[in-house]
Amino acid sequence: MEYVIIGNGIAGTSAAEAIRRLDRQGAITMIADEDEIPYCRPMISNLLAGDIAAERLAIRPSSFYDDLNIKPVLGRRVQSIDPAAGKVRVGDSDLIVPFDRLLIASGADPRISEVPGSQLPGVFCLRNRSQALDIMAAAEHGRKAVVVGGGLVGLKAAHALQSRGLQVVMLIRSAHPLRLQVDASAGRMILAKLREHGLQVLVEAEVAAFEGSGKVLENIVLADGQKIPADLAVIAKGVAPAAGFAADGPIGLGPGGGIVVNNTLETTVPGIYAAGDVAETMDVARREKRVNAIWPEAVEQGIAAGFNMAGRRVAYRGSLSRNVMRIYGLDIMTAGVVEPPAADDSYEVVAVTDKHRDIYHKLVFRDDRLVGMMLINGIEQGGVLLSLIRREVAIVEKKERLLEPGFQVGKLMPQYFK
Amino acid sequence: MKQVQVHPERCLGCMQCMLACATAHSRTKSLFTAVGESPLPKPRLHVGAGSHDEGFPNRCRHCDPAPCLLACLPGAIFRDPDTGTVLVDPDLCINCASCAMACPFGVLRYHQDWVAPAAKIVAQKCDNCLERQHEGLIPACVEVCKTGALTFEESDEALRRKTREVARSVSMGMEEQPLIPTGVQLLRQAKKQRFEMRCR
Amino acid sequence: MKTKAEERTITKDGQLLLKKMEQDQVETVWDRLEAQSPQCGYCEMGLSCRVCAMGPCRIDPFGEGPQRGVCGADADIIVARNLGRMIAAGAAAHSDHGRDLVEVLAEVAAGKAPEYSITDEEKLRRIAREYGVETEGREVLEIAGELAAAMQEEFGTRKGFLTMANRAPAKRREIWQKVGIAPRGVDRETSEMMHRTHMGVDNGWQSLLLHGLRNALSDGWGGSMIATEVSDILFGTPAPTPNMVNIGVLKEDEVNIVVHGHNPVVSEMIMRACESAEMVELARKKGAKGINLTGLCCTGNELLMRHGIPMAGNHLMTELVIGTGAVEMMIVDYQCIMPSLGALAPCYHTRMISTSDKARFPGMEHREFHPDNAAELARTLVREAIENFDQRGETYIPVEAVPSVGGFSVEAIIGALGGTPQPLIDAITAGKIRGAVGVVGCNNPKIKHDYGHVTLTKRLIENDCLVVDTGCAAIANAKAGFKVAEAIKYAGPGLQEVCGALGIPPVLHMGSCVDNVRILVLAAALANALQVDISDLPLAGAAPEWYSEKAVSIGSYFVASGVYTVLGPMPPITGSMNVVNLLTSGLNDVIGASFAVEADPEKAAVLIRRHIEAKRKALGLSALDI
Repeated sequence: MEYVIIGNGIAGTSAAEAIRRLDRQGAITMIADEDEIPYCRPMISNLLAGDIAAERLAIRPSSFYDDLNIKPVLGRRVQSIDPAAGKVRVGDSDLIVPFDRLLIASGADPRISEVPGSQLPGVFCLRNRSQALDIMAAAEHGRKAVVVGGGLVGLKAAHALQSRGLQVVMLIRSAHPLRLQVDASAGRMILAKLREHGLQVLVEAEVAAFEGSGKVLENIVLADGQKIPADLAVIAKGVAPAAGFAADGPIGLGPGGGIVVNNTLETTVPGIYAAGDVAETMDVARREKRVNAIWPEAVEQGIAAGFNMAGRRVAYRGSLSRNVMRIYGLDIMTAGVVEPPAADDSYEVVAVTDKHRDIYHKLVFRDDRLVGMMLINGIEQGGVLLSLIRREVAIVEKKERLLEPGFQVGKLMPQYFK
Repeated sequence: MKQVQVHPERCLGCMQCMLACATAHSRTKSLFTAVGESPLPKPRLHVGAGSHDEGFPNRCRHCDPAPCLLACLPGAIFRDPDTGTVLVDPDLCINCASCAMACPFGVLRYHQDWVAPAAKIVAQKCDNCLERQHEGLIPACVEVCKTGALTFEESDEALRRKTREVARSVSMGMEEQPLIPTGVQLLRQAKKQRFEMRCR
Repeated sequence: MKTKAEERTITKDGQLLLKKMEQDQVETVWDRLEAQSPQCGYCEMGLSCRVCAMGPCRIDPFGEGPQRGVCGADADIIVARNLGRMIAAGAAAHSDHGRDLVEVLAEVAAGKAPEYSITDEEKLRRIAREYGVETEGREVLEIAGELAAAMQEEFGTRKGFLTMANRAPAKRREIWQKVGIAPRGVDRETSEMMHRTHMGVDNGWQSLLLHGLRNALSDGWGGSMIATEVSDILFGTPAPTPNMVNIGVLKEDEVNIVVHGHNPVVSEMIMRACESAEMVELARKKGAKGINLTGLCCTGNELLMRHGIPMAGNHLMTELVIGTGAVEMMIVDYQCIMPSLGALAPCYHTRMISTSDKARFPGMEHREFHPDNAAELARTLVREAIENFDQRGETYIPVEAVPSVGGFSVEAIIGALGGTPQPLIDAITAGKIRGAVGVVGCNNPKIKHDYGHVTLTKRLIENDCLVVDTGCAAIANAKAGFKVAEAIKYAGPGLQEVCGALGIPPVLHMGSCVDNVRILVLAAALANALQVDISDLPLAGAAPEWYSEKAVSIGSYFVASGVYTVLGPMPPITGSMNVVNLLTSGLNDVIGASFAVEADPEKAAVLIRRHIEAKRKALGLSALDI
């Protein structure tokens, strides 16, 4: 059996390990853009912040490929896939790799800014280890930084650059940060907290150009003409599935641009699987196909895909968007549907605020199921709530009770343990 | 292998286990001095209220597979191969709370600890009192639990014991031994009734 | 689905203010109860003992852990000791309150309390005669001095038997003597309880419980009875007076002063200061239309009973009252004053004043009242309250006050009956009134606020049981609208007929919690008229929402006096089924009455009615099957 895995991120890595638990003989080839031992991508912001050393990023030993008897093809991107022939073409070379089972775990690429000057040196993305190291090098000599985007990566980047002693300006297109994760009132709380911590945040700001004399970034020019001086800029406008090589082929793509998979992680083409940030899976809270590009899903999807590829049928129960961050003195945990469509009355929202503990908690129910949560501070019981969402437990309790200060798993006996 | 077994039906909610746990994880190991330590030691198991305000000891189950371990970004959470205990390495922990998001029982807390690097906030959880076990002691929470809500025994022994109790409670000829003593039942009924009346 | 506020209280004012305080993010007693949950099961069952330093100890009710404390005390002993100490604390609270009043009486007699006086001279003379004090042709103050001295002796050990316990029917006194629980001295029994429950003294759980009954009797027929009678002598014996109740008694355009606590010694003086023309004028100058004095809890009941002063609410309303933002000053004396109030008041503009040398509270200004400075200090405080009027922010008084009638002292009830209890006896004999029930006691956040009181009372009156009430229960029933003549529409046909003819409500407000002794006196009067024991009468007591140690003492003296008493919240006794069984049935054989525990007022009403019908049957009266 010839296995080919595109990508050496956590989805590809987990899949390779799962395959090896069932199949010690089959050949595994891993083709990846990054010439690295598998490392922990979410921690590159900790690296940038100087919290951890670069060596600490690795999550597998340097002998990983040898240990698992994997043939690594690193530093190369896949050009195209020929499903009918069972072949993968790597880069612009003539390296053709045949497969019986293929896993596409190519991850995602940062969305690039189209505005003039975005190719200037000093303008970065923060997606992988080497980019983090590049930013660190630039930050050595810089004093002022601009972060474009107020999502998770933007916040982490801004925080990290501030930790390095830079003055940071954050530019957000919407009215508050974390637009995809939190609602407007939480957004205002977070915004206030960022400013309290010395981060300058400009909301509803549109970048028109990156300006520099010669080869050095000097200013970021906003649509309203305002110029913000900067020695370096980090563009954090989200990511898009790295599925370009599948665009014209028979492998089905979803509306999110990801590769659509079924509950065995198989794509529309038999024998070809997808997992991680590139895959479009059934979202259990939203009940629609969605790319949930988050680390824990990549782990689970990788394992499930690996087992299925090696012949053990494993049903993947669907994905759930979720995030947690402890940053700027705030603990933020969110999952599922945070802002239900206003017109749909099958949703019910329950929320509490506690100004003494700086808490804002919100739960979203669809009928008797919990489908979303947003916890600002007081996140200890978030895992319990999240498991209610993922396991689609029918809530027989009064919904408000899930937000009472003394809520914990004992309140849910016995239905929780069914 | 002996493990801590939780029998929530026997919990009276006295929270002695929380005090004992915090003390066992303190620098000085004595309640009277532990409360003066900085950082203040904290319990790793939590007695919460059940659906009718009865006690519920919520302790790490040391799950296998452990969702927190799988979710841990820096690989700080690991399993002790000898005892199966799921532990956190405070040097590696980056305080990202991924484990809190993963734990379906809500047992993780984040605070300073005297064995962690100074002033560093790290994930804290039950460690089965491995340090005490090395000294031949049983876990602190079990030692102070007088009702048998927390026991330290083989899991099949616990199961056998429970089977015996159930059998005895329904067997003819044995002295009548209700599973839950009458006085405790009276108290629990009163609490449940209180709860039902609130909803009227 | 009920909202959180609806789960916590049945009262409209309570619900609205709870919502407001939630918005204001101000913590209340209910939040703190939630934070305490789960409460310690050992303590809830009475199985923890902190009496000595060999301990603390606890007994495992599941039988595997320790079954004896370090000293060797088993569950029975530990539960009985703990209950005994609760009774002692309750009896001490009531009796110390009584002592304070006797001291005022003595100082009035000695001319050292110039602004206090003897208001009910007739009652002074009557009670003096009861105490064997010569009254014929003597000066009032002279009699007062001698009566005060005689009453002070009741507190000590010289008496052997309390004077007013002679009011109990002869059969009852015989039972007390036979069982060995006749009360010998007010402080003596409390003191002896503390002695008996010391390690290594009384380790008979039965003898401990019996002494608990004696200790409670020393409160009911001693300390509390002295408190009530002396209050009447000093401030007047209550007579039916209309008043208004609930938080709507606060006024938007007046200076609101609230008195909270138990002892009328302070609140009476505040009331007089509020009524003075000088103060009213000052209030007008400050832009208020006047001064509005209202009461909370039992000191409120004292003023309501005697003067018709409006009542803002009961125990669980004490925090919410401040949440209106309309209270310029709250003046407290002692008992049932939550120490949270001092921290809560700064969220609004309310000034909090503590007045008793034995009751201090964090966050309150301490301005100590004594008989010699009381009137002057009261004027000073009222002036300061008026000056606080312009500090008021937004106010929220969301409901209209409800009318009620209070003031049913035993004298007033007998008066309403035409000078003799006979008409009431006749109505009971004829079955128009099935029996009478004292619904008394506190509020407890574990029971939905006022739900227990109001539901039980409603069920009783609609089944022709006359209800007399005191304390927080009385306030609950007043707010529910049971205390106006028109409330007979809630009563069954028989009770409706009798109350309608007499022009009285079906629920009679008999006063504060020390005034539970008025119920004892009434019960004794009925029994004496019929020449039977109290335990023979179709009577019952209930404390549907009790929380305090005082209530444990009250319940115990009710039972020891022969009144079947149903408690709402479970007392901490379930750790010993021996104690439970003795208190809930065994006592019947010993003293002819027992306790029951039933938190659901619907079920409690059935228990009580069943008991009343059984007593009717035993007396040869018509009886129903319940």
